[in-house]
Amino acid sequence: MPIIINLDVIMAKRKISSNELAEKIGITAANLSVLKTGKAKAIRFSTLDKICEILQCQPGDILEWIN
Amino acid sequence: MWNKTKSLILSRIMTTAATIIVLLMTFFVPAISEWYNDISEAKGFFESINITIPMCIILYICESLALMAFHSLHTLLKNISNDKVFVKDNSDCLRKISWECMLAGAAFLILGIWRFVFIFPAFMAVMFGLIMRVLKNVFEKAVEIKTENDFTI
Repeated sequence: MPIIINLDVIMAKRKISSNELAEKIGITAANLSVLKTGKAKAIRFSTLDKICEILQCQPGDILEWIN
Repeated sequence: MWNKTKSLILSRIMTTAATIIVLLMTFFVPAISEWYNDISEAKGFFESINITIPMCIILYICESLALMAFHSLHTLLKNISNDKVFVKDNSDCLRKISWECMLAGAAFLILGIWRFVFIFPAFMAVMFGLIMRVLKNVFEKAVEIKTENDFTI
């Protein structure tokens, strides 16, 4: 899939751990791992909203489309 | 009180009982074939030919197919009791059962050369195989949707 998840980069910039982020979003660490590794088939708007709110970023910072 | 677990247990008991019956029938196939040859009216393409041997062969083939289908049913029921419903293994089981029914239908159709009456069980077996095939397609799609749902974060 040509959509890349740059969650790792933003998380490193904000200095937040996976477990902490998962807890704040309200998803399991396993699901966050699925998202980070690019195995996810889709992302809910509600999840994206929480990620952006917690990491103080735009959806475009997390999701990137490459040709 | 009747519940889902009891229903599954009943299905497993019935499948086991059917497997045992089919296994026991193995010993009586020649006798059944001879008996049918004696009582049946010779209406087919080869009316004067004795049906005992071809019927024995076809029944043994159908028995093997039935045993394979029962094995698939056992696997299906085992997976369902383990809460693994929409998994690839189950759709594979349904696909196997479908093909086994189709093959049994083809076997009965061959027997129809000697006795036209066997065209009816052949039709029924093919019909059942077709239903199982459609079920398999439904299951395959359900597995796909479940996978997508599981990976929606």
